[in-house]
Amino acid sequence: MKYVLALISEEGGTSMEDAGPEEAKTVMDRWDAYTREAVDNGAFIAGEALQPSPTATTVRIKEGEEPVVTDGPFAESKEQLGGFYLFECKDLDEALEYAKKIPFQDGTVEVRPVMDFTDLGYPDYTPGPVKATA
Amino acid sequence: MRFMLTLIGPEGGWEDITPEQMADEMKNWERFGKEAVEAGAFIAGDGLQPTSAGKTVRGGRDEERVVTDGPFAETKEQVGGFYLLECKDMDEALEWAMKVPIRGGAIEVRPVMDYAEYGYEDPAQAGATPAKP
Repeated sequence: MKYVLALISEEGGTSMEDAGPEEAKTVMDRWDAYTREAVDNGAFIAGEALQPSPTATTVRIKEGEEPVVTDGPFAESKEQLGGFYLFECKDLDEALEYAKKIPFQDGTVEVRPVMDFTDLGYPDYTPGPVKATA
Repeated sequence: MRFMLTLIGPEGGWEDITPEQMADEMKNWERFGKEAVEAGAFIAGDGLQPTSAGKTVRGGRDEERVVTDGPFAETKEQVGGFYLLECKDMDEALEWAMKVPIRGGAIEVRPVMDYAEYGYEDPAQAGATPAKP
């Protein structure tokens, strides 16, 4: 089963922009070690860090109406999505083990199973050719 | 350049949907996914199960992590899925966002970190999705 780990934290302060080169390297090394473990275990499918929320553009869609485009994120909250991992795990407990090891200084990880299209009667449906790259 | 399209909308609403309506809905999503794949834009994407199926882990490196049931925020609108797309710029990413067959909701479009800026040739070296998955 695939799980999404959504990484949510306060923006700024811990951002890489403010960090010196050595501090940035220490932080990157931690994330690198974390991901490497997930890759070695065959769990890693995809994962990215996002640029800060001011770089976001939001498109509001309502059936039958013109989409409305605005600058900035969906929610102007202090805590924002900063990145994600998509992992193959045997169950939610295993996904939670990965979530607990995220090298956050401080933040929150929302863990959600991806939709099982077989349950909906679409065993062949795939949103794209996503395969474990490990 | 990679962009993350986060799909946000009200949860539920399709529990009472007929199999025929469901088939129509799914066709729209299949079509979108196929187009993104054929254009060479598709890197990853998934629909998520409802927030009630998820859990939230709070805390940091030197702290005790606390696990609770449900989503991070108990809001009416929730993340329902995502696409990770390779696009030449924000305008192209917005073109894809406009085509996402969501019935009602919002798509937040964000560029991913520029790993090259930190000296990584391949995003995989920085612990992200490899350049050629």
